[in-house]
Amino acid sequence: MTEKTRSPKSPSCVQITGMGIVSAIGHDIAEFSHSLAAGKSGIRRIERSTTPPLPVAIGAEIDGFCFEKTLGQYSDMSESLTQSALYIARRAPFTIQTSVISALQAWRQARFDDKPIEPERIGLIIAGHNTTQNYQYSLCSDFRRNPEYLSPRYALQFMDSNQIGVLSEIFNIRGEGFVTGGASASGNVGIIHGTRLIQSGVVDACLVVGVVADLSPMEIQGFYTIGAMGGKQFHDQPEKACRPFDALHEGFIYGQASACLVLESATSANTRNVPGLAIILGGAINLHATATSQPDIDGEAKAMNAALQQSSLAANEIDYLNTHGSSSPLGDSVEIQAIEQVFGDHFPRVRLNATKGLTGHCLNSAGVVETIASVVQMQQGFIHANVNLEKPINTRANFCDATAVSQQIHSAMNNSFGFGGINTSIVLQKNH
Amino acid sequence: MSNAMTKTEVFNVVKNNILDILPKVQPDMVTIDKSLSDLGANSVDRMEVVTLSMEDLGVKIPLLSFAGVTNIEGLVDVLFNNAQ
Repeated sequence: MTEKTRSPKSPSCVQITGMGIVSAIGHDIAEFSHSLAAGKSGIRRIERSTTPPLPVAIGAEIDGFCFEKTLGQYSDMSESLTQSALYIARRAPFTIQTSVISALQAWRQARFDDKPIEPERIGLIIAGHNTTQNYQYSLCSDFRRNPEYLSPRYALQFMDSNQIGVLSEIFNIRGEGFVTGGASASGNVGIIHGTRLIQSGVVDACLVVGVVADLSPMEIQGFYTIGAMGGKQFHDQPEKACRPFDALHEGFIYGQASACLVLESATSANTRNVPGLAIILGGAINLHATATSQPDIDGEAKAMNAALQQSSLAANEIDYLNTHGSSSPLGDSVEIQAIEQVFGDHFPRVRLNATKGLTGHCLNSAGVVETIASVVQMQQGFIHANVNLEKPINTRANFCDATAVSQQIHSAMNNSFGFGGINTSIVLQKNH
Repeated sequence: MSNAMTKTEVFNVVKNNILDILPKVQPDMVTIDKSLSDLGANSVDRMEVVTLSMEDLGVKIPLLSFAGVTNIEGLVDVLFNNAQ
């Protein structure tokens, strides 16, 4: 550990100055926060019909989203921004429209509309890959019959990077922009790279947008066949199917969310006089060299230790850990062993929960969703419930049970792990 | 396409697609002497008007046939002639 300390005024300090979300448990931060505090789950039976039918028709899908109606609710927004969003994204796929809305929320909270910074000093990171699977799948049967009628817009829209073009034009972002991928760790990978862009001085602020995982029946079948998906023994009780760290966990439950963070240097936020919601103290990514979906205790522990080292914090200074906790029997078991290894004597004291128990597993965007959940809990002083945790797989672990508890959180950790041996962890601190 | 379809009806199909793709365009702005670019369409918008109109009319026309088109009248003519 180094002696270096980070204060909100230190130039290398990266703050979160804006957050936005469209999820199954809230279409904005206020509603999402309320659902977290109330332990409200978005997991239910998926009613839409698909061809072929889904092997697991349980998930936390975004319901009742209407792009134009949502834009209409932002009545205090500048007319030019509204018109630009409407013109560019009105006919865009669901994954683009939800990104635009979560980014608009974060952009407005960061006060870029009335306290702007140079467009060249803002970066844009799209966190998530293979974001157009269901869009392509839905066009495929028409295409096979009538290829001549395929929209020319498809050439733009099938690419994940289309999100960069759409969002940069709406917000006039002219700094560095790219897509980050890391399977279920994509969100954290995006946050870590956004933080680095700011720390290296390439930009002063950066939007990190975790994209909705809009899975087609083919991806859901694949996850089911590889054995990663739950929802079997609780097929008739969808609300009980997602059970991170519970003895009856049996795989992840699919969730949808678009989530956006505005990261900004302390210097820029102070100059603009915009409050930091939290500080990103550190973040680490490593690989445990596997072509499979197997998790690894050592790789996960290394990611947590590296994030702590960057943060100049000791493990016993972490009050709360937002676990990857996907409800996968092997994944949960490996993660809790890795946490026990990292936290040592402090293990029984660090508070643990799993946001996926309420939101489902949002895959691409999970890291961003769970960073937002961590910030909300830090700001409001609570740990959200693990609603289905009846028989924990580790009895020494300090899991929150089925009811939320009040607790001040000063420092938090957020884990995300992905297929292909991708391990990530970030450390957040409350902005006092 | 039904034999009964007139050039005016083809124009109306094109016009509806223009209004759908270009929300800033008012119905009375769409006249046959104008080009799609005059109405603010970019290259992707222009091709989308073509593909949507072909689909609405149930015709399949090689895109090369639209190469010499300079205004909405020309577009309507190609669609109409190929639909006969």
